[in-house]
Amino acid sequence: MDDREFKSLLETARIGLTETESETIKNDLEEVINYFNKLDGVECGNVEPAYHPVEIPGIMRKDIPKEFKEKKELLDNTKTHRLYVVGPEV
Amino acid sequence: MKSYISEFESKDKPKDYYQKLLEELKGKNRELHVFNNLNEDLRDGFPFSVKDNICVRGVESTASSKILKTYKPPFNATVVERLQRQGFAFLGKTNMDEFGFGSFGINCETPARNPFNVDYVAGGSSSGAAVATSILKYHVAVAESTGGSISAPAAFCGVVGFTPTYGVVSRNGLIDYANSLDKIGFMARSAADIRKVLNMSVGRDEKDTTSLDARLRDEPKIQFSVINQLMNGLDDKVRSAFDKLLEKLKSMDYKINYVDLKDIEAAIPAYYIISTAEASTNLARYTGFKYGFKVGDFSKRYNDFFTEARMQFGSEAKRRIILGTFVRGASVKNRYYVKALKVRAMLGEKMRRILRESLIISPTMSITTPKISEVEKLSPVQTYALDMLTIPPNLCGFPHVSFPYEYIDDMPIGAQIVGDHFNDYAPISFVENWEGKFKYRFKYNIGAI
Repeated sequence: MDDREFKSLLETARIGLTETESETIKNDLEEVINYFNKLDGVECGNVEPAYHPVEIPGIMRKDIPKEFKEKKELLDNTKTHRLYVVGPEV
Repeated sequence: MKSYISEFESKDKPKDYYQKLLEELKGKNRELHVFNNLNEDLRDGFPFSVKDNICVRGVESTASSKILKTYKPPFNATVVERLQRQGFAFLGKTNMDEFGFGSFGINCETPARNPFNVDYVAGGSSSGAAVATSILKYHVAVAESTGGSISAPAAFCGVVGFTPTYGVVSRNGLIDYANSLDKIGFMARSAADIRKVLNMSVGRDEKDTTSLDARLRDEPKIQFSVINQLMNGLDDKVRSAFDKLLEKLKSMDYKINYVDLKDIEAAIPAYYIISTAEASTNLARYTGFKYGFKVGDFSKRYNDFFTEARMQFGSEAKRRIILGTFVRGASVKNRYYVKALKVRAMLGEKMRRILRESLIISPTMSITTPKISEVEKLSPVQTYALDMLTIPPNLCGFPHVSFPYEYIDDMPIGAQIVGDHFNDYAPISFVENWEGKFKYRFKYNIGAI
């Protein structure tokens, strides 16, 4: 992975690194990806990918609106304007 | 069978019991960094601690991450709700590796220390949960495992650590690391107490679409399978102690069967690919204005704002987010992520064949408890490789328990028993039987009556 690819990856991940971190993590990344490459030699036959380790029926709860009573507690975690959460410009 | 819960309930407690318990714990906490916070309003009930990545209403819940500092959830995790409904008393939030990213408990601001010797790791990521269980006489810990975060610290701190089948304990209220791997489980000083809290916690929860209403079985097995490939690379002392354990089990009329499981080593890269992929999407929610840490300067553009907030992550969290982003990339997704999911399916099927007739047994960790100074020097790949024995059951969602079976140089070591999906009580039953033959040692008995 060259510096340009690494920089692009950091932008996609929205991760900012200090110079020291950048050097260490780039080296680590190459070592770990080489380790991941071990999977290339593993024969899996015709198995389907297991998105979960056991079968999940995926039963959804009924879509019935309920009042969330702890609004204040929830909003205490944020900066608010009236009942809106204040965020950065998009 | 020893149950500390039953013993506690049968005893008369002095009026100032909880106050004194808190005082003593505060002192020990300064030395061992067990709890991120303690409940000053501790009242009647059997004390239970909660790993800091599981939400307790109104209590700071940070997953030991700076990015979640000050976050107080407005709700209880389902498992907390269920235990409180049974009269259990919330004691405090336990220390851990940030977001569960670690095997030794050192990836956080103030790592928990091993109660047997403070120079040694407590294990991770549920480090505080294991230490709390090791130092408190009457207590159970609600912990969580993604790739071995219950077994590893339980082994290093000399307690019983149980991870259930994926999906049988609701994950509602868990601060996710990797959704398809995370399991809420328990630590205790006896298997009987694990059985009790598991009974109280299982069952479908409409707030978690992956929770299951499965009937858990207790199908005992008289045969243990040892996977040959997992025995490679064991530390000599661990190997010798484990061989003695197998001899002891034979004398208890269990049969030991050695089996091959080709490609089991692929479990580690498969696990780290899946877990980092899922972590990189889960941790995208920490944007610097909704939970915990606030950037404050709202004039910044969204991407800059977001990137600045994420400077709060520790190095291991950053490393895993970057790795997860990489393996999900469109050009490599099939090579890494989809292949890892296929490896999980393939290994799960192979393990299931073994588990139909037996339980799988191995040491919990391939090494004796290391010093903190030793693990700080390891590279990520060296660290990940040390999870070899705990990852296979976690990757494939099988229930497993770690229990103390020997003490080497005055430090405990653990063995791990794996059962088939939903046969969760079989490993617990075995450990109940084991406890009739082997006495666990604890250095502290805080809260003894």
